[in-house]
Amino acid sequence: MSAPAQPGGPVEVGTELPPLTVRLTRTDLVRYAGASGDFNPIHHSEHFAAQVGLPGVVAHGMLTMGTALRVVTDWVGDPARVRTYAARFTRPVVVPDDATGAEVLVTATVTALGTSATGGRTATVSIEAVCDGQKVLGAARAEVELDG
Amino acid sequence: MPITQAHVGRQYPPTPAYEVSAAKIAEFATALGETGDRYRGQDAVAPPTFAAVVAAPAWQAMFDDPELGLALHRIVHGDQRFELARPLRAGDRVQAVLSIEKVRSRAGADIIGALVTLRTTEDELVGTATATFFHSHEAAA
Repeated sequence: MSAPAQPGGPVEVGTELPPLTVRLTRTDLVRYAGASGDFNPIHHSEHFAAQVGLPGVVAHGMLTMGTALRVVTDWVGDPARVRTYAARFTRPVVVPDDATGAEVLVTATVTALGTSATGGRTATVSIEAVCDGQKVLGAARAEVELDG
Repeated sequence: MPITQAHVGRQYPPTPAYEVSAAKIAEFATALGETGDRYRGQDAVAPPTFAAVVAAPAWQAMFDDPELGLALHRIVHGDQRFELARPLRAGDRVQAVLSIEKVRSRAGADIIGALVTLRTTEDELVGTATATFFHSHEAAA
């Protein structure tokens, strides 16, 4: 399949990917709980979130991490090109029970170029995810293959 | 009995085979807001972080290990890394094997590094999921 590996032109160190704004509501948390099988009540119950000292219901770290990767999968066009993806869960995304939820801004920059084991070009992409002015993922990085 | 460095190297039996379905891939992609055609239909590939869904039963088995003395409500996922040899696809039957790679205890918490290796039932390596969990001690919770 042909996927647009470089929608904005040639890929260089410093290339910025098109940014992404993600809105997470309580419904999104419930949907992710069902899809992932992670029914930890801190992701849907104020009662349990308060019991463990959280300021409110928080998004699954894996939901934040998985959603943030869209900035990369949208760019490379094919999720099969993602070779590695890592992140620290530095701060939970608190999702209020209202109509707007939480907003996460995701930006990404190419920080290195390389060659894969099969000789194709690869890019290391550094990802930032920010909610309420605070970074919610730390050292988030994905390595992708640029050639199909 | 609390978790200690003596548990480094402990490995658990493979989880029961998880059969990846096209419907589950589509459901998971939708939950991440991934709308692309690559995630839909019989030739669908899973979003990279779907590996966590297959790894989760292996994590749970470690959390439930009575010898480690862990309490689920005091465990926080600290970081996560995926290395994928290829994407998961509908029809894959995948087993997860967890080994404890690292245990550090500091004031109030244990830091646990767990490596999960994902292989198909035909013994093809699909990838690994490396996680760090923080387990806070009772007094600190």
